[in-house]
Amino acid sequence: MAFIKLLGFGLIGLTVVYWSLSLYSASLRRERLEDDYDKSPHPGQTREAYVADGMAAYRAGLRPKLLLSVYIVPIVVVSTIIYVVNSG
Amino acid sequence: MRTLGFFFRLLPILLVALFLHYVLPQHDTVQITSTEVIRTDFSSYNRIFYAQPDSGAVEQPTRDLRLINTSKIRTYLLGFIPRDRTEVMVYRNEDTGWIWPPYFKFDSADLQAESAAAARTEGWYSITHYGWRIRWASIYPNAVAISPVDGPRPGIVPWFNIGFFVFLFAAFFVIRGMWRQFRERMIDPSLDAAGDRMDIARADLAKRRSGFRRWLDNWTSKDRR
Repeated sequence: MAFIKLLGFGLIGLTVVYWSLSLYSASLRRERLEDDYDKSPHPGQTREAYVADGMAAYRAGLRPKLLLSVYIVPIVVVSTIIYVVNSG
Repeated sequence: MRTLGFFFRLLPILLVALFLHYVLPQHDTVQITSTEVIRTDFSSYNRIFYAQPDSGAVEQPTRDLRLINTSKIRTYLLGFIPRDRTEVMVYRNEDTGWIWPPYFKFDSADLQAESAAAARTEGWYSITHYGWRIRWASIYPNAVAISPVDGPRPGIVPWFNIGFFVFLFAAFFVIRGMWRQFRERMIDPSLDAAGDRMDIARADLAKRRSGFRRWLDNWTSKDRR
């Protein structure tokens, strides 16, 4: 029962962290794209299109997938703690 | 008044520090003298300083508690500087289970057996524990693990705590960055928009009022010079 409680609340907490981090990361990228465009506007492309293209490339990239480690790292850490504390 | 404000700002920091001091692991250098099991009656104020009952078991007002009696090297400065004198220290030995604090300790019976074996020797042991010994409330620190060390001054590096504080430091800056980004991209623009709307409304109001004023001014006497 306690294990299920840990699993449930852990999942909720980590989902909050994951959402916050992915929104933050995407927002940073969007801001950088906007700044890039403002510094050197691409002829024949509107600012919105430039940012949309950049965001599509961002979503296809590695960074959003790396953020999934928010779920993996705690599992690894907890497993390590369980092993270290209960062995020897 | 000023000192009161300072105190209220200090209070949360103090509470967090106390909380971390209770929960984070510390290493004591001890000689284990004996182990024992006593029946413990919890009261409402010391109950939270004990672990929850074994999973599946019923919560009772009384239960058996494993204790480890030791003779411990006294220290200065949160255990960083060892002294020459020793004092007695009693640790409880309870499973923390899956919940709190997150030590995930399930082997208290094994730890008790190790401690009993260690009590037969004169050797020095490093005992990892969290919690406080508060005599008037009958509260004991919870032992998590023991390991033999060479002598009374083993010079143990608290790797876990170093990692934990590095993580805390990093998390602080990430959260601050998040908040700033959120404010810059979400709150400020909407506040600006709200401010603009407010300005428009105010200008509108001023215009309307000036119309009203003009009408009112009709009734006031003109300059009769």
